[in-house]
Amino acid sequence: MYVASAQDVTGKDTTTNSSQGGSTGTVLDEFAQPLGGVHITTGDGKLIGTTKDDGLYSLSDVVVGQKLIYTCKDYNLKAVIVKDKTSLITRLENSYLKDPEKIDVLYNEKDTKEIVGSVSSVFTRQIETTPTSLYLNALTGRLAGFYTQEVNGFRSARTAAITHDDLAGSLPSNATKYTSVNSDNSEINFNVRGQTPVVLIDGVQRDIYSLDPESIESITVLKDALSTLLLAQKSSRGVLQVTTKKGVAGPPRISFTAETGMQSSLKTPNPLSAYQYGYLYNEALLNEGKPTAFSASDFEAYRNGTSPYLFPDVNWYNTILKKSAPITKYNLNVSGGLKNARYSISLSYLNQEGLFKTSDAYNYNTNLGLSRYLINSSVDVDVSKNFTVGLQLFGRIQDGTQPGALDPSSSNSGTNQILSLLYATPNNAYPVYNPDGTYGGSQIYNRNLYQQTTGAGYFLDNNRDLMANLDLKYKFDQWLPGLYAKIKANVSSTSSSLISRNIEQPVYDLSLNPAGNLVYSRQGYIADQANSFDMTSTVQFFYVQAAIGYDSRIGDHKFGGMLFADQQRATFQFDLPQTFTNLAATAHYSYKEKYFAEVAIDKGGFDRFQPGHQYGLFYAGGVGWNISEETFFKDHVKWINLLKVRGTFGETGNSNENSLGYFSWRSSFGQDGNNSYPNPDYQSSTLVIAEQMLANVNATWEKAHKLNVGLDMAFLQSHLKVVADYYYDVYYDLLQQRGATNQLMGFAYPNENIGKNLYTGQELTVTYKNNIGNFNYFITANASRMKTEVLNMDELKQAYSWNKRTGMSVGQTFGYLANGLIQTQQEADKAPLLAGTKVYPGDVKLVDLNDDGKIDQFDQTAIGNTKPIIYYGTTLGFSFKGFDCSILLQGVKNRTYQQMDYSFGSDGKSQGYDYLVGRWTPENAATATYPRLTLGFNANNTPYLNTSSYWTRSGEYFRIKNVDIGYTFPLKNNKFKFSGIRIFVNAQNLFTSTDYSRLDPEIYSSNAYPIQKIINAGINIKL
Amino acid sequence: MKNYIYKFLWVAVITLFAVSCKSTLEDVPVEQQTLEFVFDKNDSAGSNANRFLFDIYTHLPVLFNRVGGDFLDAATDDGISSLNSNTSVQQLAQGTYTSTNYPDDQWANCYAAIRQTNIFINNIDQVPLLGKLSNGTPYNKVWKAEAKFLRALFYFELVKRYGGVPLLGDKVFQLGDDLNIPRNSFADCVQYIKNECDSMKNNLRPDPVEPSNLMRPTKGAALALKARLLLYAASPLYNGGNIDGNNALTGYTDYDKERWNLAAAAADSVRAENVFGLDTAFKDVFIVEYNNERIFARINGSNSSLDKEDSPMGYTLSNGRTSPTQELADAFGMINGKDITDPASGYNSIDPYKNRDPRFYKTFFYNGSIWLSRPVETFEGGADKPGGTRQQTRTGYYLRKFLGDNETLTAFNDHSHDHILFRYGEVLLNYAEARNEYLDKPDQNVYNAVEAIRRRAKLSPYQLSATLTKDSMRIIIHHERRKELAFEEHRYWDVRRWKEAETTFNTSLHGMLIYKLGSGTLTYQKVPVYTMAFAAKMYFAPIPYSEVTKNNKMVQNPQW
Repeated sequence: MYVASAQDVTGKDTTTNSSQGGSTGTVLDEFAQPLGGVHITTGDGKLIGTTKDDGLYSLSDVVVGQKLIYTCKDYNLKAVIVKDKTSLITRLENSYLKDPEKIDVLYNEKDTKEIVGSVSSVFTRQIETTPTSLYLNALTGRLAGFYTQEVNGFRSARTAAITHDDLAGSLPSNATKYTSVNSDNSEINFNVRGQTPVVLIDGVQRDIYSLDPESIESITVLKDALSTLLLAQKSSRGVLQVTTKKGVAGPPRISFTAETGMQSSLKTPNPLSAYQYGYLYNEALLNEGKPTAFSASDFEAYRNGTSPYLFPDVNWYNTILKKSAPITKYNLNVSGGLKNARYSISLSYLNQEGLFKTSDAYNYNTNLGLSRYLINSSVDVDVSKNFTVGLQLFGRIQDGTQPGALDPSSSNSGTNQILSLLYATPNNAYPVYNPDGTYGGSQIYNRNLYQQTTGAGYFLDNNRDLMANLDLKYKFDQWLPGLYAKIKANVSSTSSSLISRNIEQPVYDLSLNPAGNLVYSRQGYIADQANSFDMTSTVQFFYVQAAIGYDSRIGDHKFGGMLFADQQRATFQFDLPQTFTNLAATAHYSYKEKYFAEVAIDKGGFDRFQPGHQYGLFYAGGVGWNISEETFFKDHVKWINLLKVRGTFGETGNSNENSLGYFSWRSSFGQDGNNSYPNPDYQSSTLVIAEQMLANVNATWEKAHKLNVGLDMAFLQSHLKVVADYYYDVYYDLLQQRGATNQLMGFAYPNENIGKNLYTGQELTVTYKNNIGNFNYFITANASRMKTEVLNMDELKQAYSWNKRTGMSVGQTFGYLANGLIQTQQEADKAPLLAGTKVYPGDVKLVDLNDDGKIDQFDQTAIGNTKPIIYYGTTLGFSFKGFDCSILLQGVKNRTYQQMDYSFGSDGKSQGYDYLVGRWTPENAATATYPRLTLGFNANNTPYLNTSSYWTRSGEYFRIKNVDIGYTFPLKNNKFKFSGIRIFVNAQNLFTSTDYSRLDPEIYSSNAYPIQKIINAGINIKL
Repeated sequence: MKNYIYKFLWVAVITLFAVSCKSTLEDVPVEQQTLEFVFDKNDSAGSNANRFLFDIYTHLPVLFNRVGGDFLDAATDDGISSLNSNTSVQQLAQGTYTSTNYPDDQWANCYAAIRQTNIFINNIDQVPLLGKLSNGTPYNKVWKAEAKFLRALFYFELVKRYGGVPLLGDKVFQLGDDLNIPRNSFADCVQYIKNECDSMKNNLRPDPVEPSNLMRPTKGAALALKARLLLYAASPLYNGGNIDGNNALTGYTDYDKERWNLAAAAADSVRAENVFGLDTAFKDVFIVEYNNERIFARINGSNSSLDKEDSPMGYTLSNGRTSPTQELADAFGMINGKDITDPASGYNSIDPYKNRDPRFYKTFFYNGSIWLSRPVETFEGGADKPGGTRQQTRTGYYLRKFLGDNETLTAFNDHSHDHILFRYGEVLLNYAEARNEYLDKPDQNVYNAVEAIRRRAKLSPYQLSATLTKDSMRIIIHHERRKELAFEEHRYWDVRRWKEAETTFNTSLHGMLIYKLGSGTLTYQKVPVYTMAFAAKMYFAPIPYSEVTKNNKMVQNPQW
């Protein structure tokens, strides 16, 4: 029986207490540990007891058959009918949504009530149901103001060795390389109110995204100026703050989870069969007045498949891709400790496989894969009553594999190379194998896709992360109660390397010679297996922080402040270290928990600016008014439980080192990569020196004025909560190229402090939690709307109002308006033309906006979405009798993208897809969904060089993003003395509804790794 | 306990300081060199300055497969790209471009190079170079002259495309400078480049240059540049044939016969150096590095990448990128010097590749020519024209010129593939053309120049009829230019400066359709494969649209 085990764990005999007149019971948490602070009420709402920290409570008069209701903050309500007065043992389950008293803000913790900025959080339960390697996947749709777009379905490791180009922004064109090198996230684009946030892991800035959600306690997004001000020259960006689980005093709490899932692609393109391909290819040739490439007998051969070697029809998607691939994860969390020394250890292993097939001919794995080992341990020791020391160690090893495909003529390799080949190779390009067993291939397709996937060796990449955190806090309570000092130091290092064990194998082009014999001609490359090892990235971080603070209360006045200094030094590759320094002061005051005020001021510096011009002053302030605490309100408006208005305003900064460049205030010269000029002996060459940078002495940090106004409300005994925010953020001095970049300068212009953009928006979160008996249910919905506007970009005077970029959304697509397809020869004869082109029926009809009879840059205007983007998410769920269920619905409105399609590729020899079947022909003129076919680039029709609204596609979608169903076994059925067992099934990307269905709207690039649908099952055991 | 805490704090603080104070790194990156480092006041060998100069060489024009992977000549009636898709040269050949996407836009490249030459010219005198040429010219002067030659060449590259362009002098602009600079007239630009050539030529290395300095421009290079410049300036498009009336940006506003005389004299001054001659083997000019026909080249090294790109596609690793046209093939007459249209020439349309001008065999791969030990097959279904979607010749020909001696080998050998920018053969033809235009009737000097080319081509007889008029001599010279200089980036500009593009480049291009009958007999049929289009505005390239909008003094070329 379970009771015995409860005694074992708690070490207390619950039965002895019951002899004293009334009843005594115990309330336990999920780990079967005693739970304090639980209110016990009778069915009619009368409070009859409260548990203490040992989980015990005593009731004076309880009768069998009576209903007791247990409630506790952040736990589901539980109603119990008393059956046996002597064993009142009850276990409460954590609620799905949490309402913590304190919340993590930047470098600190704060009373939720006192927050005047805009902060939203999610907790373990909300994110642990997402079976992916990145916690970012779990945030989609859960936080107002946090936008994600998945652009790649699988991690893509960096395969290029560190080179000169990896200098952090040595040239304007190279500037962006810097972030991609060090982030472990290649899959998800995300932003907070339009800005890429600074990511903090346990209070330390690190771009770490590949973590096990189960070891995360909370993720908080800080969106306003005041909340982020201590970042000074990064404070414009917003903050994404991850806090891992910390130890709680008590016996060890052990939680073990094992889960495994199947991943399958949401959507892949549908290639044309060889016969269809040949037919449409001929049509395209005829449309261009060229002789056809395939004869009637060729078609026959493709169709009846009698000559699969000379007339192959290979669906490459089926040939090299599996239908599904597993993902497996194990997680072990142990925490506990004494009152003055607490620990937490988390171990996690993840193995994710890709969709590529492997060949039995090799006993090594060539598939795409990821193995991740994580360890996170923290110890907090109260050395004395006033002195606390915390030590945290975080380590991560990520090993990736990918196929060894390599194209020396391009920078493509591995997965990227295979995916772009897969997209480009027609079904009739070549057979997988020739009759003699050699790999098929041809002159233009001189790499066999199957060989590239399964027989080209492999790449291994290894990533190592180490982070050590020391926290010291001393309270000077004996001198001045409320005064404290704290120091935080962190060293952190990350490195990644690549091992290449890549092998080239030749392909043979098969043809029939006039004598009727098969002729093999070699087309591919033969090379020895070239093993190599390269460092692909290495970064060291050093961070130190010191603060002296004071918090006190005199009567109704609560006040405090802090002096703060920190420095972060980061050394990327072989760059000189970059240092951010902050000297800051904050102060806060509140009266009767009704009026709140807070200010912060920060002198922040970045050492990549010109000496003497490295420091700037940033400030922010905020006020809040809890109207519901006012007597005039409290006494009269009973149905509103909370009504709080709050607002912040501040001037923030962003060093934007990616746009700034590397020491760009200096005019510099140097060897330009490997550029050289050959000597006449042809054996050697002279490495050349060239001008590298124009001196950009005036460049300074970008700035923003950010205003946030918010409203927190609660109704219906706080079952219904509403949080609303409005923001008006003006970003200015943005580093951009000037409009008049005259090429007579003879050199690329650096970015200067020119741009000014406006971001405004509204965010709303509504949460309703309640229960019907033991049926606890909740719904939380959030929606965000963001409008952007370019206020200044130093735009040159445009000839027509519709040409103007200023005033449009940031990043607005510009192109020609299209008005369907040209249907008749008369229309074609009258159509305005792009310079030197001719159009025919079936071509895209471009609109001549200025009516000058031709299509040119003056006819370009904003195309695609021009409305504010809206994104939303709703989570709903319940828990009842051990069952729990949650569903996340998520979607995006007002989003478009430009499809980038050529029929048969830009080179006119690539694969065709099923959408080409809908091309314009005189017969289906009215219903055509694609212009008449041409080969390769067609100035009027193809979207690559000539963006027209014909190719605008809706990027709106609605997804059932995540579903989680679990069952927790009741304690008494537990024969193995576990304190808790939960089995669960969850699913990611279960269903998508979208207007345009060829590809997934999030990941519309045709040769990206597709987004995965994952069905996952597992078990969680608690000890 | 308290003591212990304080000790601990002390240790922590000291440790932090120890770490943070120990930086041994420099304040600013040493790899970011300064101007003083490049032009080192202490380096009498000037090794860094020399490396800076070599960077300017890397901006020199290239010839092979330059425009989107094709020869510029594939935008003339001499050739087309083998690619089916819309290539950059196809846009050039059909005029499907605007001022925002001109495929051969060299504006930015040339001004970038000019900026670097100006930095060099302004600073080289700070370097105390000790070296001297054997004629006593100090290296400071030599190197500065080299930079000036390069600058003149970049300006010429601009002028032949855009007409008059802004002349910047020695100015190196910085961020705050006013860059609203107007274009100089065509006449100013020609005068500027000519004066530069005149003033720098005697400071350049004398010819012949020793092998270790083969990459450096010599006096001969400056003379050859001036000769080409003045030939262009004297040509109909600029000299009296201005397409835009009195627009001084697009040419002279008057006709002056004397310009032909200046051009002839400039070309003759190259001959007067008495160091250059015609190489006996036509093809060796391009694949043998040291030859006395070469005047100036961009070094490209010894390799076989060009061979792979242009060889007929049926050979391993070959791409067959360029398809020369039937028009060019027909332009090559017979070995007896007669045109194929001449009934006495001996041309046989059922055996069309027999007894042709020997340069034909060095310029074309045709059906039956030998390459890598097997005959080229460009008949329908042949190894080098198999049909289907593969990249293959569209005319029945591939480009043989510039490729190595690989006829009897089985794989490509590496060969010298320098980009020959100036050679003596061109200078002779420049001279002949200018002199013929200047005179009322060609004199012996004109004959000598043209016959030297025909003689080296091994025409037999190479002599021309002694009674040619000025007009018939012009036709012969234009013809010789087309054959001799095919695919050397002359035809594209020649036809323009002759102001004949509206007819010559507004035409259908043909290929040879060859069928191999069961009996093994070949049938030949000329078929149209491509249509060029030319409008008058294409005589000049459009100045990049953004340059016109960003510079309020910039004037666009007519009709763009």
